[in-house]
Parts: sequence; structure tokens; C-alpha cells
Amino acid sequence: MAVIDSGSKRNDSLGFVNDQRFRSVFYQILVFGLVAWVGWSLFTNTSNNLAARGIATGLDFLSSTAGFSIAWSLLEYKPNDTYGWVYVVGLTNTLFVALISIVLTTILGFFVGILRLSKNWLVAVISSAYVEVLRNTPLLIQIYIWFLGVFSLLPRPKQSMYLFGMDFLPLNNRGFYVPKAIAGELFWLTTVAFIIAVAGVIWLNKWAVKKQERTGKHVPTLWYTLGLLFGLPLAVFLLSGSPLSWEIPVLKGFNFRGGTSVPPAMCALLIALVVYHSAFVGEMVRAGILSVSHGQTEAAYSLGVKPSWTMRLIIIPQAMRAIVPPLISLWMNVIKNSSLAIAIGYPDVVSVFMQTTLNQSGHAIEVVGMVMLFYMTCSLTISFCLNIYNRKIQLRER
Amino acid sequence: MTDTPATPAAGGLDDFTRKPDMPPPIATTGVIGWLRSNLFSTPFNTLLTIVSVYLIFLLFQGVYHWAFETAVWSANTRRECLDQTAYGACWAGVGYWFGSFVYGRYPSDSVWRVNLSWIIFALWMLPLWFPKVSFKPFIGLSAVLIYPFLAGYLYLGGERNWFMQIMVAVAILGFIICWLHVACCVFLNRSFGNLVVSLTGFAKQPERLHKFAILATALVGFAIVYASISGWQVALIGPNKWGGLFLTLVISGIGIASALPIGIIAALGRRSKMPVIRVVTTAYIELFRSVPLITVLFMATTMFPLFLPEGIVLNKLASAIVAVCLFSGAYMAETVRGGLQAIDKGQYEASAALGLGFWQTTALIIMPQALKLMIPNIVGSFIGLFKDTTLVAIIGLYDLLGMVKAVSHDPKWIGLHTEPLVAASLIYFIGCFAMSRYSQHLEKTLGQGDRR
Repeated sequence: MAVIDSGSKRNDSLGFVNDQRFRSVFYQILVFGLVAWVGWSLFTNTSNNLAARGIATGLDFLSSTAGFSIAWSLLEYKPNDTYGWVYVVGLTNTLFVALISIVLTTILGFFVGILRLSKNWLVAVISSAYVEVLRNTPLLIQIYIWFLGVFSLLPRPKQSMYLFGMDFLPLNNRGFYVPKAIAGELFWLTTVAFIIAVAGVIWLNKWAVKKQERTGKHVPTLWYTLGLLFGLPLAVFLLSGSPLSWEIPVLKGFNFRGGTSVPPAMCALLIALVVYHSAFVGEMVRAGILSVSHGQTEAAYSLGVKPSWTMRLIIIPQAMRAIVPPLISLWMNVIKNSSLAIAIGYPDVVSVFMQTTLNQSGHAIEVVGMVMLFYMTCSLTISFCLNIYNRKIQLRER
Repeated sequence: MTDTPATPAAGGLDDFTRKPDMPPPIATTGVIGWLRSNLFSTPFNTLLTIVSVYLIFLLFQGVYHWAFETAVWSANTRRECLDQTAYGACWAGVGYWFGSFVYGRYPSDSVWRVNLSWIIFALWMLPLWFPKVSFKPFIGLSAVLIYPFLAGYLYLGGERNWFMQIMVAVAILGFIICWLHVACCVFLNRSFGNLVVSLTGFAKQPERLHKFAILATALVGFAIVYASISGWQVALIGPNKWGGLFLTLVISGIGIASALPIGIIAALGRRSKMPVIRVVTTAYIELFRSVPLITVLFMATTMFPLFLPEGIVLNKLASAIVAVCLFSGAYMAETVRGGLQAIDKGQYEASAALGLGFWQTTALIIMPQALKLMIPNIVGSFIGLFKDTTLVAIIGLYDLLGMVKAVSHDPKWIGLHTEPLVAASLIYFIGCFAMSRYSQHLEKTLGQGDRR
């Protein structure tokens, strides 16, 4: 027989070696055994080492007193709080700085990307130099330069600079101060009005789109949107008697008192993160817009769509499909890179928990595990959102 | 319209001579035309141009003023700098420390060892750019696989155990053979192996015996090299003395060299049909990709000592290198996986039809295409890794950034931060920019076949 049927039994006794199913099972057992062996030896080594050093394992240390102070925190923190609270404070500090950076990065990045595509040669050259310089130098060095080369060289509080010449926005080497808003009794009315306005705007735009789809008539909503969004809360705010007062930072002695202060480390970290990542967003935006075939523009023009509408209705929606997935993974990078805060002393989760707490308590495994768990949770959440988005915008093909 | 005279003139058609073409309007050609179309096409564009010129002017003026006009180039301490200028840069400190930026605290009478290793590496890689040389993949592989032993010994020094004794000899032999081969290729137009076969008189023997001739020659060469270097030894310089750009290159070099193999294996594992392998590799990739490098480095310095059996102590550099390798391998795995996903299913089917097994298909058909597709991303990961090695400064290693930070603790240059940081970022910029430009060039040359 010249034809060997793959299903037929081989006669030689070693035929099973060539059977793919056998091989697959064999390899899997091998890998499983290897992983189990490595895991087991790590476990025994670790427990031996821990026993030799007299370190108890477990999460009990989380309820003992931390005893160190944290330079700046979003949540209330006192040195006699517990390690568990230190973890929470660190998390919120990380998320706070990361979220602000993400919003600003995205805005600045879109701006950079559009400038890179500018027809003006000079503008394109400047923005491409901006992108190249920022992308090709380490973020950590940039953070140091912002911190040591800019914010630490600012004048002392007595010779403070005032942003935009406003004397309630002082900037000095102790940080940046903004007036603190103190809500009065009836301020909740304004908040409610704002929520209603947002809901109204969403409804209005949906209605406008539906109407256009039904009748073909375009309903201009921009002015209504702006009016609703700002006018309604403002009207309620004024009618309820302007229930908001400002605590303005005032120079007293050697430092400013009152207001909300942003420490130099946080300013430096924020600016460094935003500027560094904006270069990457700029490249994504540029690549996304260029990825839309030129035929789309020509088709739109030949249908008589005017250029500004072509950009808004034809190009941008298609470009977003290429921009958003990398953009979302960049947001994850921003969260991860905010851990470099440790270098300049902004108290993020790595700095207060993975360094200070770990050094004080010695619970390496638990601490490292908890910090990694936090970052993995962030990452999983973000990739979950990304998957939803991808499913939503995927091309509906036949 | 010029050549359609509807009514013949008095002289008749014979008199018609075509006038020479008018030159294009001066405003659309040359410098003026370029300026008009690129800088001043609309009023808004003109405004943008003027604003940009002003910004560039401000930037250059500021940089020039700080870095050149009022800068101090020679001084012995920061105090002297400050006496000469209140505002300008103090480059004297950078100049004074520059040697340390490059070599860290490596003893200055042994710096030649580092330089020698760099020269050997450059010479080893150089033939890859010669058009005539054959067996280039082997040259590249040998540089990645056996060069590190020679370099490692040059850096560390001290006594060699039997393994290092052999590997250093192999590395030196490999380097010699590599260049003998290059010389053969360039001058004789044949490979070194071919030459050996004909010189030893094996040319008349059947082809399957040829490899024995080459092997025997290599063994003889190995014996000669081994014997001649067995007495050679350089002084021991521990890793705590390593630093500066040198240390950065050691860490990122090992990271880059190991990222690709780890990444390829992990990517293949993640796409495997075997559930156990898929789960293990996916867990590895996702774990390391979802946490920041700094936490991996902290894990390496705090948890590795607990993981290892008693008696084995891993120094900080080794743990950092292991951490960097694990981290970069996970990122590379996703890059490679992206390339694998882009390969058409027909390629797998075609190679299966040819009777190629899994490893043959992967190594000969799929990987070359996938890696070629992914060159920009792979180089992007390399650049990222090179930049990320700065993080080892946080766990207390004196890499380039660590040395730069050390300047400000030097009593003579106390508080000198900005200038060394600017110098370091310049070094990083040159390295990363060169890499990214080279990858663009590579993409163009390798993508030649895809363009019509």
C-alpha cells in the first residue's frame, strides 16, 4: 500500500511516540511537572528562609501602627494609622496623579498629533522634534529634570512667583497653591442642577441624532448644550445665594497658609508624565489619522461634504478605531509609570507601601503581592474596558 | 489654447511660430514658492508660522544663554562656577565626572578591559554589514551566545573555573574564526570551512566527511587557544565597582539579548493548543506586563533572597538583571505574538502540505516573516528597555543615572543636578534615536520585496 491512512494503527511498538495526542499530553505533563517543581522548591526555600529569619507570614501586620508620616495624601492620614490604611492612602495617591495625567495627556497628545499633521512645515517640524526628544529620553531622567531642574529652583515662599500674575496662585519651592473651595449649606442644589444638566445634554443630543436619522434635518445642538451645561448650574448657584466661599492662601511667616497646596514632587511628576506620554499619544493620533485611506476624503468631497465636516464625520470616527486601543494601553502605562514617583518622593503606593512599609515590617512577600495585585487589578479593568470597546466598534462585516 | 488659431492671420499658417513657454509665476517655484505653499498659504498659517518662529527664537535664546553664553567650562568646584556665573550652566562638573559617567567606579588602570570588550564586540558585529560575507546568522548568533563569556571575564577578572576557562577559550576562538572567515570571503570568495576542507585534502572525500575536517581544525584551534590563554589572568574587579554607561550597557545588553528568545518561546506557548502550556505562559506574560518594572525590581531585591536555597546569595546586580530579563521577555512575547497573528493561515497550511513539522514550520516559514513584520516594534521594545534600565538607579545600582545622581553628593560639586542630567539625557537620546533610525532603515531594506 502506498497510501498510509493516518487513522490506521502503526505496527511498530514505538509508533505512539509520533502520535500527536501522546506528544501533547507528554509535553504538558513535562511543563506541569517543571512548574510544580519550581513552585515547590520556591515555597520550601522561602518557608525555610522565613523560619531562619524568624519572620511570621500573614496579613496581621496590616492592622499594626505605621508610625511614619506621609508628605501629602488625598485621604486623611496620621502617623498612628495602620499599615492597611497606608496601603489605601498610597493607592488613592497613585490613582489620583495617574487619572489627572491620563486626562491631560490625552488632550495634549491629540493636540500634538494634529500639529504633526499640520500643512505648515515649521509647525510639523517643531512637533516632530518635540515627539522625538521626549520619546528618546528616559522618563525617569525627565522626572528628575522637572523636579531638580525646575521645581526645586523656584524661589522661596517670600519671593513667590504668581501664576498669571494672580496673587491667589502662588508658586514657590514648597509647591503650588490654589484657593480652596468651601461649599456652603445650599451648594448641593448646584450639584444636583449640574447632574440634571448633564443628563439633559445627553438626552438632547440623542434626540437630535434620532431626529436627523428620521427626517434628515440637522438640528444644531452646540449652543443648547453649552447653555444647558453652564447656564442651569449657574442660575441655580446664583438663585441659592452663591453658597461657595474661597480660602485663599496667604503668606504667614515662612510659608503659605490656607488653600490647597500641591507639593513640588507632585507638580514635577504630573508635568513629566503628561509631557512624556503626550509624545506617544501624538504619534498614535497621527498614525490613526493617516491610516484612514485618502479615498475616504475624496469620496466625501465628491459628495459635496465640506472639509470641516469631512474631518469630523468621516475621518475622525474611522481614525478613532485605530487610535483608541493603543491609547487605552497607554493609559495603563501612565498608571504603571506613575510608580516612578518614588524617585522624587511623591508618596504613591510603591513609595509608601513597597518601600517604607516593607522596610519597617519586613513582610516582603505580602507587601510585594499586594502592590502587584493592585496594578494587576488596574490592568485587568482597563483591558476589560478595551475589550468592550473593541467589540463595539469592530467593523460589521458580512 | 495657444495652438488653436481659429482664424489664420494675414501671413497664413506658415508664418506661425510657437513662442517659448512662459516661465511659471515666480511665486510658485523656488524658495518663494516653497515658502508660500508651506509657511504662508493662508492667513492662519502665516500666524502659526510667526508664532512658531517666535517660540523657536525664545527657546534657542534661552538654551544658548544658559548652555553657552554664560556657561562655565573650566572650574574646580561648584563654588568657582557660581562665582563666575549666577545663571549659566556649570559644564566643568560634567567634564570632571565624565569618565565616571562612562565607566562608573571601575579602576582607571583597568578601563582598557571595558574598552577592549567594546572594540571586540564592534569588530564581531562589523562583518554583518559586509555584502560578501556568508553565514551571517552564525556570526550574529556567535556574537550573542559566546561573546558574553569573554566580555564577562574581561569585566570581572579573577580566577576562572573550568567552565569559564573553556568558554573564554571558545569565545576567543570564535572571534578568530569569524574574522578568518571574513577574510576568506572577502579575498578568496569562499567560506573558511571550504578553505579548510581543501587545505586538509578532504576535498576529494565524500561531502559527509567534510564536517569532520572542520571539526578537527576547530578542536586543534581550541587546544592552541586554550593552552595559550591558560596562564592569562586579569585582576578581579567586583560588580560593586561597575557603573555608569558601562553598567547600563551590561544590563540592557543582557536584557535585549535574552528578551527575544524568551519572548519567542512565550509567544509560541501562548498560541499553543496545549492548555497547560498556554496557561503557564499566559500567566507569566500577563503578570509581568501588568506591573511596573520598579515593582519587579523591588521584588527581585527583596524576594529573591527568600526564594533561593540557603547558602546561595545573589548580588544586587544579578537580581536586577534577572528582573529585567523576565520583564523584557514578557513584553517581547506580546510583540512577537502580534507578528505571529499577522501571518496568513495559508502559510501554515502550505508548510504542512510540504510535510514540515511544527519546529521546521516555525523556524523556517513563520518566524522569519513574523519577525520581519515586527522589526519596528521589536526595536521599539529595545529602546524602551534601554530607557527602562535607568530604574535600577532607584534600587541603588550606579548605572548612568546613578552616577549622574552621585555628582550632586560629591562635596566639590554639591547640588549640581541639572547639567549632569542634561548630559545623560543627551547620551540616551543619541542611543535611542540612532536605534530608531536604524530600525526605519532596516524596515525599508527588508520590506523591499513587499513594495512594487
